[in-house]
Amino acid sequence: MTKIEFNKDTKFSMKHNKKTDRIMQNILLIPTVLSASFVLMILIFISQRGVAPFLPSEYGNESVNFLRFITGVTWYQPPNSYGIFFIVVNTVFVVALSSLIAVPISVFTALYIAKMTPKPISKFFQTIIELLASVPSIVFGVFGLGVITKVVLWIASIFGLQTAGGISTLATVFVLAMMILPTITLLSITAINSVNLDLEKNSLALGASKMQTYFKVTLVSAKSGIFAGIILGIGRALGEATAVSMVAGNAGSGPSFDLFSTTRTLTSTMLLGLKETTGLDYDIRFSVGMVLILLIILTNLGLNYLKKKVGRFS
Amino acid sequence: MKHSKRRRLDFLFQGVITITSMIGLFLLIAIFAYVFKQGSGLLSWDLLTSDYYATTYDTYYSDQLGDEVFEKPSHLDESVYFSSKWGIGFSTALDNEGKSYMLIAYIDSNSPLRILPDKNNEGEVVEITENQALLKVIFTNYTIIMSSEGPENAANLFDAADGIIDMITTTSGKGIRGSIITTLYLIILTLIIALPIGVLSAIYLREFAPKKSKIVEILRRLIEMLTGVPSIIFGLLGAAVFIPFTSTFTAADGGNLISGALTLAVIVLPVIITSTDEALKVIPDDFRQASLALGATKTQTTFKVVLKSAIPGILSAVLLSVGRIIGESAALIYAIGTAIKDQIILTERSTSLAVHIWSIMAGETPNFELASAISIIILAVVLVLNLIVKFIANKLSYESRTS
Repeated sequence: MTKIEFNKDTKFSMKHNKKTDRIMQNILLIPTVLSASFVLMILIFISQRGVAPFLPSEYGNESVNFLRFITGVTWYQPPNSYGIFFIVVNTVFVVALSSLIAVPISVFTALYIAKMTPKPISKFFQTIIELLASVPSIVFGVFGLGVITKVVLWIASIFGLQTAGGISTLATVFVLAMMILPTITLLSITAINSVNLDLEKNSLALGASKMQTYFKVTLVSAKSGIFAGIILGIGRALGEATAVSMVAGNAGSGPSFDLFSTTRTLTSTMLLGLKETTGLDYDIRFSVGMVLILLIILTNLGLNYLKKKVGRFS
Repeated sequence: MKHSKRRRLDFLFQGVITITSMIGLFLLIAIFAYVFKQGSGLLSWDLLTSDYYATTYDTYYSDQLGDEVFEKPSHLDESVYFSSKWGIGFSTALDNEGKSYMLIAYIDSNSPLRILPDKNNEGEVVEITENQALLKVIFTNYTIIMSSEGPENAANLFDAADGIIDMITTTSGKGIRGSIITTLYLIILTLIIALPIGVLSAIYLREFAPKKSKIVEILRRLIEMLTGVPSIIFGLLGAAVFIPFTSTFTAADGGNLISGALTLAVIVLPVIITSTDEALKVIPDDFRQASLALGATKTQTTFKVVLKSAIPGILSAVLLSVGRIIGESAALIYAIGTAIKDQIILTERSTSLAVHIWSIMAGETPNFELASAISIIILAVVLVLNLIVKFIANKLSYESRTS
């Protein structure tokens, strides 16, 4: 057996080594804290800019009436009256409709990919969905303005309705549904794949058909994971800006539940008509941003609460 | 009887699900088909390399014309009308709005018109090149060519003339060279900023952070929260923090490429951290222990052994980030602005390819052809990047299975 010899230096250097590791640990803490600080920076600095329009100390007589801002049904009345209530209602309406369309399609697609096809085909379809997920928002915008609005025009003509070149609530709903479809599908696939196969086998052994098993065992067991995907998708939809702005039309007042008239979402309000980079009309967009952040947080909390409740009853 | 009813119901469900799951495929094909149909006609080398704004040149020719007779090159077809006296050929072309104009289809390398004095700037010269449009010519014999004259007429009038009092040409414009350069700048700057911060953060969280520390847990959660922030909110962060920041430390005044890159860096940070973390996670502990047992410090182990094995993961992070940067629009509209530029300066505004699309689509008359042509480029790059990332991931999981 070889005898391991320690000399004095070894002991010293081990101590020394520990010291370099400790220093390295502290150095590496810096980028980590920096990375973590950005969320706080977003909250602090956007709030700071977003609150400014309401402060007489910042804007004097020009300052915006806060109460009118959160209850208003007209976006802008000169010189300094802004209203955002109807925009929040429109945003929620549009997002709710788009998830109504996207959720069943996504869950069915996920079921198909995870359970109903042989591996090569399922891999192909999963890649397709992943590619769809990576299509940038601006391309959806071009497609929305070039194709979806035409589809809406066609639908409107069937019902004999008027629409402003197809730029409408319905077009926004379609574009959003397209954009959140891959998100929900991919998370649902993961959820369905993690369902214990024994459960399904038991169900089949008891004489249930494959479809009965999928709907009554697989999907029910994957419920929680699918719900997580829906929450993520809805969060995406609320914050989606570019594509929505291109097909929403930025209606001046509302709320409007007419599918074929123009609409205005929080994000389209922030993005469209951006000209100056100072002044009230610019700063008020930060206030809209604050409302958007608040809406996303509240929606997330609410849906997560719902998810827990749904989970409990299974 | 009941059994057959159930089978029929099963069959129905199966059909519905199969048809529904084709929607994703259908949408992807529809998007591709649309942008290719609209944009492929415009997609050319010329589009990629030319300026967005047309430049107009105002020139004249007062020298004595030589006796040289130019020959029409054989590769030019019937539609090009050639002036053998001046060595220049004209044809009719359509611009992006579908209007016809007179194009300089060919100019001989020895043509007297190749280099002409600039009327607007004394002492300067103007280079007349192919693909410029001919707007107007006044000859010394006072015949005039207007753009609407037609190429045949123009070539004849050129042959009849001995000198030019005034000739106005314009470059085609509507090119995206500036936006391509901006996008490349943004990719490089963003990665320079975000990559070290992201990789080091991931290393800290996975390798160095004390286990079960409350503070570390909070840091982790805060970083995770970044993934859920919509890009337009990142744009507000850029406008509220990074634009003032860069304005203080550089010559910038308002939105600029550096503030845009800083904003993009925050956007791709969670991508880089997650991807690096995933890579670090799958490295077997044996590696670390073997290195530590050989007497290496934790620092040496991390940077020489662990990090080396994590390189494919970091590469995926880079590729995903590049995809994100190329596709990003809403954040950049706030963090830089929407002004399309041909001369790209780091401390000034200009548009990435995605924001270029926004700029030409948000106006009164959206330019679908150009937007689709740029969309083809963006889509091609983003999709190829994603496929490479998938390939790397597959390879890694295959290797970890077989080893």
